[in-house]
Amino acid sequence: MTNALPSAETVVVISAFALIYMLVLLKKTLQGKFDLYDFLMLSMVAIIPAGFTLFPRIGYLVSHLTGVVFPFVVMFGALFLVVFAFMHNMTARLHRLERQNCALIQEQSLLALELKAKESSGPGA
Amino acid sequence: MGMGSTDMRYGGAVAPQGCALRILLIIPCFNEEASIGGLLNEIAATGRGYHTLVVDDGSSDATSAVASCRSPVARLAQNLGIGGAVQTGIKYAARQNFDFCIQIDGDGQHDPRAIETLLNAYRKDPTNITIGSRFIDHAGFCSTRMRRAGIRLIVLALNGLFSGGGRITDPTSGMRLMDRSAIAFFAKAYPTDFPEPISLAWAMRAGLTVSEVPVEMRARETGVSSIDGLKSASYMVRVLGYILLARLVRSP
Repeated sequence: MTNALPSAETVVVISAFALIYMLVLLKKTLQGKFDLYDFLMLSMVAIIPAGFTLFPRIGYLVSHLTGVVFPFVVMFGALFLVVFAFMHNMTARLHRLERQNCALIQEQSLLALELKAKESSGPGA
Repeated sequence: MGMGSTDMRYGGAVAPQGCALRILLIIPCFNEEASIGGLLNEIAATGRGYHTLVVDDGSSDATSAVASCRSPVARLAQNLGIGGAVQTGIKYAARQNFDFCIQIDGDGQHDPRAIETLLNAYRKDPTNITIGSRFIDHAGFCSTRMRRAGIRLIVLALNGLFSGGGRITDPTSGMRLMDRSAIAFFAKAYPTDFPEPISLAWAMRAGLTVSEVPVEMRARETGVSSIDGLKSASYMVRVLGYILLARLVRSP
């Protein structure tokens, strides 16, 4: 394991980014634009780099354990994992919403048709 | 429902003699103001008085206005594609307790006189789905060479992977008759992508039977096909993928 640690500038920049990004996410979550799952998944973009920067030895340990030479590769791997998990969930949600949307549009058109038929057949029908 | 009801009577193997059968023609339309009026007139001219339902798939032209003079119209608030439009009609058929529904395109490609051919074929050999095929007699408009090649591959896949009655020659035909079992099945689930061939795969996977009868189709009166050129190749590959998927997944 190497002992190369991130510079103070790197720590400051990454920490500032993580803090600002998390605050933006928190604000949007409180506004109801994201749910808790979205908040958690999106915040990983800040948490993972911050974790690797603030606790570099953990990064080295993980890269050693996984047999990966550079810790940043592990970091990007973790980020990709989160992004794909998020995409997977989003795709499933989108597909479900698409089906629900289709069913609702069909239902609306059929109910409108039924209503029109009832109206045209008169009140006594 | 405020529709004309000159129901047909059949004495076929499935329908008992003297039983009035209710037949619904489902006509999915998207911007077909130029052809839908003529098609509805042609249907009326057959003298059979079929029930019709025009499904306006979110048209931006006067399709609904033209069609509503002659037929009930289910107007979809958004364009759902042919699958969503056809399923709307099938759901309507299921709720209104129709015995059969027959899908025909609103672009004038299908001759309404061929409806009788489908019904006669059902009387002789009742299957859950009866397709009007262009490729049995090769009469009339038979699509482009590229598309025919693609259709041949889809045919090979469907006939090779499923056994649901006779050999299929025209899985992309939009003219087909569905009986009560098929109506009930498709009212629950109907494919939105490439619905004609995929619906056959789903139906055969579920144990429904399919047969074909030769019909003559015409070149479309208006508009252009959405599947041309390179899209044909993409269409074919994706349909084959869906067919394979349908084979691998168990019926719901």
